[in-house]
Amino acid sequence: MDVTITVNGEEKSASVPPEATLLRMLRDDLNLTGAKLGCDVGDCGACTVLVDGIAVNSCLMLAGQVDGRKVETIEGLATLDKFHPLQQNFENLGALQCGFCGPGMILSAKQLLDDNPDPSKEEIQDALSGNLCRCTGYTKIVEAVADAAVEMRGDKQAA
Amino acid sequence: MKPFDFVKPDDQEAAIAALAAHSPNVRILAGGTDYLVELKHVSQSPGTVVDISQIAELKGIEEIDDGLRIGAGMTHSEIMVDPLIEKHVPAMIHAAHTIGAVQTRNLGTLGGNLVTCVPSMDSGPTLVALEAEVTVAGTDGARRMPLTDFFVGPRKTILEPHELLIDVVIPKKNLGKPTNFYKFGLRKGQALALVNAASSLWVEDGKFKDVRISLGAVAPVVVRAPKVEAALEGQAVSEDLISEAAKIAITECKPINDFRASLEYRNDLIEVLTRRTLQAAVDIANQG
Repeated sequence: MDVTITVNGEEKSASVPPEATLLRMLRDDLNLTGAKLGCDVGDCGACTVLVDGIAVNSCLMLAGQVDGRKVETIEGLATLDKFHPLQQNFENLGALQCGFCGPGMILSAKQLLDDNPDPSKEEIQDALSGNLCRCTGYTKIVEAVADAAVEMRGDKQAA
Repeated sequence: MKPFDFVKPDDQEAAIAALAAHSPNVRILAGGTDYLVELKHVSQSPGTVVDISQIAELKGIEEIDDGLRIGAGMTHSEIMVDPLIEKHVPAMIHAAHTIGAVQTRNLGTLGGNLVTCVPSMDSGPTLVALEAEVTVAGTDGARRMPLTDFFVGPRKTILEPHELLIDVVIPKKNLGKPTNFYKFGLRKGQALALVNAASSLWVEDGKFKDVRISLGAVAPVVVRAPKVEAALEGQAVSEDLISEAAKIAITECKPINDFRASLEYRNDLIEVLTRRTLQAAVDIANQG
């Protein structure tokens, strides 16, 4: 079946079998390998992307379900000369160790900050509870999201 | 995954027609947080998969003549931020929040949680304590029934392959009724309930009225605890009475003994959670 999605603002099409997940289409057909294949059953969050602005496990959606919809992946966040504030603050604090969970963590955090620009620590932890870090580096991840929130609130006031 | 045919009907009528056309070798895909996991492990193709996740008629929450109608396709995240839910059945917000993690709640639907019918479902107890009804639609039309009649056994409901669960209705008499949901899992996020419990009740002149108690993960399906309800009904509200009545709940459940928790531990949880959910509902009643 033919599936067309708008990924990071660009319309892309691929011909995939009905059983292809969104994750498989992104990685194998569109060469967007930022979303990772971790557990493949919706436990680890490494495959998190945003569909119409909400965080989903792309291993638990069929590509056909996303036909005609908007998808945002980690590849869409940075520009050539500037990281997204979440990416910059993750780098500032060294919040990623092996980095495998990073794209999913950052996209879950992005949905949180899009909805709630001033989250408490508990709200950040809740928003990231579907993203597992096997390096167990949660402390700096939560701090980086809190720092990014401060920076993004500043940006919005300045704009 | 085994190959299958995928259809995405535009509306409820087309979905029912697609189910009827391909029955019995057909499965419904709503949020997919449970079904896609199953699909990755099955050895036989389901035949046809009907995607109902984008059907507008299955969305929405509205006040109708006899209660509050909640579309079966509402995701847990949508329920958590709905103003009518907050106004009439706020316990559902807490229950939805205990399900999985953000990604699961963003995809998973209320209807899917009920149709999947695992004994530990977190949507079940609150709805049973509120005496919710469900509407099932097929080619022969729609029928409505109490949610407790919808549940048949673990992963088994009354739904025929050609039928669709379309909504859940909370009866008008129970809108605004003091209600609490209490879940005990091994972690806060992404944990199945070892036991969950809900209660709804009124306190009138210091006495219990219309007490409803429901427990999950303690029997093949979510159950009511009528003996506990009877022990409280019409009696003066007191912590001692709640503690005594909670002990009766153990006799109304048949929990399993498995790797998540022993039978003895689950029995302890049944008593403790029954007591806590009742006390919490009483606290809400006394505040209101």
